[in-house]
Amino acid sequence: MPASPSIRVREVSRRFGHRWVVRKVSLDIVPGEAVMLIGGNGAGKTTLLRVLAGLLKPSKGTIELTGTVGMVAHHTMMYDALTARENLAFFARLHGVPRDEWLDHLLELLGLSHVAHERIGTFSRGMLQRLAIARSLLHRPDVLLLDEPLSGLDDAAAQVVLQVIQELKSRGASLVIATHQLVELVSVAERVGIMVQGALVALEPIEGRDAAAVVARYRELVTHAA
Amino acid sequence: MPRSTTASVAFAVAAKDLKVELRTKTAFVSSLVFAVLVLAVLYFARDKTTVGDFDLAPGALWVTFTFAGMLGLNRAFLLERENRALDGLRLTPASATGIFLGKVMGNLVFLGVVELVSLPLFILFYDVPIWSQLPILVAVIAMATVGFVAVGTLLSAMVVRTRFSEVMLPVLLLPFLVPPIVSAVQLTWRILALRPLSELTGWLSLLGSFDIIFFTLSLMLFEAILVE
Amino acid sequence: MTRRERALTTAHRGTIITGIALLGLVGVYVRALMFTPMERSQGLAQKIFYVHAPVAWAALLAFGITGLLSLLYLMLRDRKLDLIAAASAEVGVAFAVVMLTTGPLWGKPVWGTWWTWDARLTSTLFTFLLFVGYLVLRGALTDFEVRGRFSAVLGVMALVLVPFIHVTVYWFRTLHPDPVVMKPEAPSLPSVMLVTLLTSMAVCTLLYVGFIMQRYALAVLRDVREEEAAGGLS
Repeated sequence: MPASPSIRVREVSRRFGHRWVVRKVSLDIVPGEAVMLIGGNGAGKTTLLRVLAGLLKPSKGTIELTGTVGMVAHHTMMYDALTARENLAFFARLHGVPRDEWLDHLLELLGLSHVAHERIGTFSRGMLQRLAIARSLLHRPDVLLLDEPLSGLDDAAAQVVLQVIQELKSRGASLVIATHQLVELVSVAERVGIMVQGALVALEPIEGRDAAAVVARYRELVTHAA
Repeated sequence: MPRSTTASVAFAVAAKDLKVELRTKTAFVSSLVFAVLVLAVLYFARDKTTVGDFDLAPGALWVTFTFAGMLGLNRAFLLERENRALDGLRLTPASATGIFLGKVMGNLVFLGVVELVSLPLFILFYDVPIWSQLPILVAVIAMATVGFVAVGTLLSAMVVRTRFSEVMLPVLLLPFLVPPIVSAVQLTWRILALRPLSELTGWLSLLGSFDIIFFTLSLMLFEAILVE
Repeated sequence: MTRRERALTTAHRGTIITGIALLGLVGVYVRALMFTPMERSQGLAQKIFYVHAPVAWAALLAFGITGLLSLLYLMLRDRKLDLIAAASAEVGVAFAVVMLTTGPLWGKPVWGTWWTWDARLTSTLFTFLLFVGYLVLRGALTDFEVRGRFSAVLGVMALVLVPFIHVTVYWFRTLHPDPVVMKPEAPSLPSVMLVTLLTSMAVCTLLYVGFIMQRYALAVLRDVREEEAAGGLS
C-alpha cells in the first residue's frame, strides 16, 4: 500500500534489568492495516505492545507514530468501584473529549448500554473486555493495540470485537493484535509477525493462508531459532 | 481538537479518587478509628497530676494526625495498581503534573476529613483554649498537612511497587516529617499558650519554606517516577 | 580493558588507599594520645573527639555526594552515577554509626548520660535514618533501572531535607537547652589540638575515598556477573 506508515518501528529493543525482552524489532504499519503478532509466552509480544503504546520507553531504537494510540490489554485499566459510564466519563475527561452522546454511542456499539450504571467490579470477562475496547476508542485513536483481545470471550462477545476491528480498519486505523487465537483473527489481519525470544523473526503477508498454515510456519521458525 | 488542561486532569483524578473512596470506605474508616484510638490511648496513658494538658496536647494532636495520615497515603496509588489503572492514565494526554496534583488533592481531602473529625475529640480530651485560637490553629494544621501530603504522595508512588509498602512508607517518610511536624508542634503549643505572634514567626517561616520547597520538588520529581 | 578489569583495578587501588588511611588513623591516634595535651575538664574521654568529629564530617560528605550524584543521575541517567551514589550512602551510614556510637561513649564519662538530644547527635541520627531508608528502598527494588531512578529521587529529596533537619533540630535545642551545659568542643581550640583534629579529618576523608572505591568496584563486579548471566542483546 502506498500510504505512509502510521507506525514506524526502528530496531527497538527493551530490557528489564539485564534481560532483553524485545530485541531489535523493526516494522512499519500503514493506515487501514492490521498486523497479527504471534509468539509463545514470554516471546515479548506484550512488552512490544507496551513500548508501542508509550507505556515503556525503548531501551534502544526509535518509534515514530503518526496520530494517537489506544490500547486494550489483559488488565482492564479501570476502576472496579465505578460504573461503566463513570469509568468512560473519567477517561474521556482526561482525553479532553466531550462526553454524553459519544459515551452513550460507544456503550451501545459494544452492547453495554443496559449495564452502563452498574459497577464494573461485577462484570464478566466479556463485558470488561468490551468496556476496555470502548475506553480505548474514546479519543478515536489512529492506532489501536490489542493484547489477546479475544481471550476469555464467548462467541457473541468475540463477534462484537471482530466487528469493531473491521470497522476501525475501514476507517483507516492501524491495528496490532497480539494473540494466540489465530483461527478467528487470521481473516482479519493483512500480515502476521512472528516473535521468538523477543525478536521479530518474520513479518509476512497472510495472503489467504488459513490458521493451520500460519501455525505451521510459526513452528518452522521456532525450531529454526532454537 | 481535544484538550485536557492540567487543572482539569487534577480535578478529575481527585474527584475519581474520592468517589472510589466514598464507595469502598476502607482506608477512611481505618484512619479514623486509628486516630480516635491514638488520642484515647495518649489521654488515658498519662498521669494527670504530673503531665499537664498543655504539655501533652500539642504532641498528642500531631502524633494522631501523622499516624492516621500515613495510613491513608498509600491508598492513592494502591488504587491505581488494581487492574493496572495507572497504565490507563498514562495512555491519556494527562501530564504527570496533573496526575500528581490530583493525587495530592485527594489525599488532602482525605486527611482533612480525618483531622476535622479528630479535632472535636481533641477539644473534648484536653482543656486548652482552642476556640479563640481556632483560625490560626487551623492555618497551622493546613500548612503542616500540605507539606506532609506532598512528600507522602511522592514517596507512596514509589513505595507501592515494593512488597511491604505499608511498612516502607513510614520508614521513608518519617525523617521528612521532622521539619514540618516539629514546627507544627512548636506552633501548636505556643498558640494554645496564647503566646504573641512574634514567637511564632520563626517556626512559621520554617514550615512555610518547607512547604514551598518540598511541594515544588515533589511535583518536579514525580515525572521521573511515572515514566518507565 | 573490560569492565571487570577496570573494576578490579579500582578495587585494588581502593584497598591501597584504605590501607594508607587506616595507617594514618593509627598515626592520628598516636599523636592524639601521646603528643596532644589532655583537655582540662574532660580528661581522657575527650580523645574520642578526634575520631567523633571527623567521622561525622565524613558521613556528611558521603551523604552530600549521594545527593548530588542522585541529581546528576536523574539528568544524565548514567548507571555509574547510581552505583557510586549507592556506595557513598552505604559508606556514609557506616561512618554515621561510628559517630553515633562514639557520641555516647564520649558522653557517658563527660555528661553522665549515654544519650542527650544534643543538636549535632540528633541531627545526625535523623540523617542516618534517612539514608538507611534510602538503602532499604534500594533493597526492595529488583529491577536496576527502577532502583536507580527511585533511589535518585529519594536521594535528591534527602539532599534538600538535610539542611531543614539541621535547622529544625538546632532551633529546637536553643529553645530547650540541655540542663548540662557542656560544649563538646571549645569554640577555639589550641593549635596543637586543631592540627590533630584537621589531620584526622583528612585521614577520614581519605578513608571515605578508599571505601567508596572498593564498594563501587564490588557493585560493578556484581553487575557484570548479572549481565553475563542474562545474556546479551545479540
